Amino acid sequence: MSDPSSIGAAPGAAPILRLRGIGRRFGGVHAVRDVDLDVHAGERRAVLGPNGAGKTTLFNVIAGEFPPTAGTVELFGVDVTDKPARARVPLGVTRTYQISRLFGGLSVADNLYVAVIGAEGGHLRPLRLGKDRAFRATAREIGERVGLGPVLDTAVGELSHGEQRQLEIGMALAGEPRLLMLDEPAAGLARAERVKLTEMLLGFDRSITVILIEHDMDVALTVAEHVTMMHDGRVVVEGTPDEIRRNQMVHDLYLGRGHGGDE
Amino acid sequence: MIPARLQWPVGIAVVAVACVLPFVVSGFTTSQILTRAMILGIAAASLIFLASLGGWVSLGQTGLYGVAGFAVGNFVEADGGSKTFGMNIWLATILALLVTVAVGLLIGAIASRSEGIYFLMITLAFGVIIKLLFEKATDLSGFGGINQIVQPEIFGSAQLQPERIYFVCLVVSIAVYLGVRYFARTPFGLAFQGIRDNATRMKALGYNVTLIRTIAFGIGALIAGLAGVLNVWWNTQISPGTIDIGPLIFLLMIAIIGGLYRIEGAWIGALIYVILDNRLRSVELVGERVATALGIIFLLIVLLSPGGVMGIYESISRRVRRPPSGDDAPAGGEGAAAPGVAGD
Ligand SMILES: Nc1ncnc2c1ncn2[C@@H]1O[C@H](COP(=O)(O)OP(=O)(O)OP(=O)(O)O)[C@@H](O)[C@H]1O
Ligand SMILES: [Mg+2]
Repeated sequence: MSDPSSIGAAPGAAPILRLRGIGRRFGGVHAVRDVDLDVHAGERRAVLGPNGAGKTTLFNVIAGEFPPTAGTVELFGVDVTDKPARARVPLGVTRTYQISRLFGGLSVADNLYVAVIGAEGGHLRPLRLGKDRAFRATAREIGERVGLGPVLDTAVGELSHGEQRQLEIGMALAGEPRLLMLDEPAAGLARAERVKLTEMLLGFDRSITVILIEHDMDVALTVAEHVTMMHDGRVVVEGTPDEIRRNQMVHDLYLGRGHGGDE
Repeated sequence: MIPARLQWPVGIAVVAVACVLPFVVSGFTTSQILTRAMILGIAAASLIFLASLGGWVSLGQTGLYGVAGFAVGNFVEADGGSKTFGMNIWLATILALLVTVAVGLLIGAIASRSEGIYFLMITLAFGVIIKLLFEKATDLSGFGGINQIVQPEIFGSAQLQPERIYFVCLVVSIAVYLGVRYFARTPFGLAFQGIRDNATRMKALGYNVTLIRTIAFGIGALIAGLAGVLNVWWNTQISPGTIDIGPLIFLLMIAIIGGLYRIEGAWIGALIYVILDNRLRSVELVGERVATALGIIFLLIVLLSPGGVMGIYESISRRVRRPPSGDDAPAGGEGAAAPGVAGD
């Protein structure tokens, strides 16, 4: 086991995520090709890249939503390449979605409760037991943590966009994550909400490894210690936020997108 | 929605009225209106259970209802059907429910990978297949159906003491209603609703979506099976016609009239249907065109309110009360969003 306090690529420590030669085709579209990636325990990793670069597809492969068409996925030392998403949850892999995937007919508290039970097991239990009280409390506590305390009993369909994005993160936190993957958590958020989000991301415990897809350079480069830049399905640049800020290719790829990243 | 603090009083009042009714109305009304509505209500509840919690409209529920009814008819002494078992009615009933659940799990395993119109078509196919099977297998369904199916003795005769079987149906209705309400708040019930709202998310949270759906369909089959058993206890006969396309469509209509998104709509829809079905026959203009008249009324209700009668009721009470947000959501979230949110 690597020491969680050793930030990033501690020499010798085995990565908790290891991708080798990952490729994913959709018919004729080569969404991801030949990606090698190591992420170590406790790391904060940003994945950048223009639209269609293959970032979300890479997340889907890591989370197990579909298998890669080439290469292997290793999580916490286990080869999970052909395992479905639900087999990766017990390992502590959780994620959020670029476009919120919530349970619109349930309350905020129930959404989080379902997420807690997802990690705890007992999915087929048609009874309410004593331990559900504790699960309910955990769910509400996570709701408070992501700033949804006042709307815990509101139906998710009635939440604002910003609140839905907060709940997205709450759902992923409820699964007791060891590897937390966030797909554009700042998408559609107002400026003030982005600042709050950045604070929240910076406040995560180091026992949680974070991989973050984000177009907002302010958020991404503040939170990340390592940056992976993708383009056309490939990894084109890797480096620290400072190196990324200075990199000409990054500037070229993001030019005209309105995300200068220049400060 | 009725405020949480009023739900029990309203529920108890409804049950109290239901208990008094058979002593006020005629035996014919008790049997042909009230009891029939209870049985159809339970059958419709099996449909609404899947629709409200699972987002699934199943057309296979009459088929499952038929499986239970025919199973009882075959297991006990009756005129028609298998003669080999001659079981005690209680044993026959339990076995019939088990058979129905088994068939439900089988259909559920196949249907659970589909949604929307595909689910509708698959369940419709099973509904029709079951009917055709019984029609062809006269060893199981008799010629002209199974008749004179024995009834549980303690209920006396459904003809002479109609209130007895009525109360049995009332008790089962209450059990089904409370059971579904309770289920909706359990981990399994919430998981089923989560799959309705976003199956992909549920997989990412670690749930086995196919398994949960399959078992939930089995629970729906159990509810349909209860209705099927009560139907032969009450009616003492069953034939393939009982589960033909006509009854299948009427059951769907009952569920939609009541409101597909709230379980109480099942019994409201059934009562409306049974009353209309009885009364329309004696209206001169309608006569034999009962189905047509029912169809037109059905169309009107659906056009008026996609949420059925419960939908009309809800939109009125929302307009009247305009609750400050979260006012009828109690601390535990008890019943807050269950079962399902009306179609808005
Ligand atoms: N399920 C799918 N079926 C077919 N094509 C897909 C699918 N998912 C992604 N693609 C294609 O793969 C490519 C990469 O898409 P992906 O969503 O991974 O990009 P992205 O980097 O996340 O972009 P964005 O910044 O817009 O979210 C795109 O060309 C996309 O159209
Ligand atoms: Mg994306």
